[in-house]
Amino acid sequence: MKKLIALSVMALLSLGLSAGAAYAEDYGKQKVVYHVNVDDEKQLKATLGNIQNHINAVGKENIDLRVVMHGPGVQLLQIANKNPDFQDKVSNLKRQGVHFNVCNNTLVGKKIDYKTDLYDVSKEDIVPSGVAELAALQSKGFSYVKP
Amino acid sequence: MSNEEQKFSDEFINAFVDDQLTPEEKAQVYARLSGNEALSRQICELRKTRDLVQLAYKEPPMPTRDLATLSTGRKFGLGVAAGFMLAIGGITGWFLHQPSANQVASVAQQAPGEDVPAKVLFHVSDGHADHLKNVLDDVEELMQHYRLSHQKARVEVITNGEGLSLLLAGISPYAERIQKMQKEYHDLTFVACQNTIDRYQQELGFTAKLLPGVVVIDSGVAQIMRRQHQGWAYIQG
Repeated sequence: MKKLIALSVMALLSLGLSAGAAYAEDYGKQKVVYHVNVDDEKQLKATLGNIQNHINAVGKENIDLRVVMHGPGVQLLQIANKNPDFQDKVSNLKRQGVHFNVCNNTLVGKKIDYKTDLYDVSKEDIVPSGVAELAALQSKGFSYVKP
Repeated sequence: MSNEEQKFSDEFINAFVDDQLTPEEKAQVYARLSGNEALSRQICELRKTRDLVQLAYKEPPMPTRDLATLSTGRKFGLGVAAGFMLAIGGITGWFLHQPSANQVASVAQQAPGEDVPAKVLFHVSDGHADHLKNVLDDVEELMQHYRLSHQKARVEVITNGEGLSLLLAGISPYAERIQKMQKEYHDLTFVACQNTIDRYQQELGFTAKLLPGVVVIDSGVAQIMRRQHQGWAYIQG
């Protein structure tokens, strides 16, 4: 009986796997921008999870994914600056090609120094206006996701 | 349009769905809509069809022939034809002075630049005061950004549900600020959803009074769909 259950579980698993592979092909190439403007740690953590799941579903070679943070959303990289779990998640996503873009207006307005206050941000990651970036990316064919 | 006294003609209702009526004519329909379920359903169905047609024609369309082959029923064919005739007749641009759908569709193919305006809509459906403040901050920041970078732009703030409170006289915590923004940025429009206004009236007996300069559209959600099909960027405020 145990053997039977194990077998059926395996059968189900392999079904699930092949279905997953089929979906990945169906999704094709994607360009996506994630809009982050909240500072709630739980919600931010869930967002990082959403993004990873999104990449898993589409395949990292099939997706150009940008995270645009502005206002309270910059908190994501402030948390990552201190919290190793966030750090791992952000680094991991970056290795899969995700760009984390920060709004310069927010940095100026909140007097945030991106070199010391934020996790792993370089000059190229900074955009003049987060909101304008969201609009510009959509006009270039990026889909908008607000997690 | 003399026969709408008792019952609106199909052409009239189609023109309503296609935004081809004058504000006064639209007001007649709205006035009738609240107590008339059959009319609401008819309009809802027509909107669905219209949105499907628009969705199918994200590319610049070759209208007459293709639309004709699409018509599946007499009513629908008539409606599209009527709407189209009206469009040809030059009755475009209701109160937002928007270019015709064809122009917009071809513009949407190009990225914004010096001559192509950026088009952005903010969707506001949450009515909490600090949330509304964040939205206004974002809108203002965006308008500033476009001004400083000499980028032409059209921005709409579309409110529905709880978000309508942003635009209600006597209720909005930011009435003055909105008035200032309207004066400062002529390409910025604040939009209220008629469906929400109707719902407030029916469910709460509350008659919504809007801030000056606010534009009313039939349905916030439908407007968001229309704008996205026309190439506008969507930002959830």
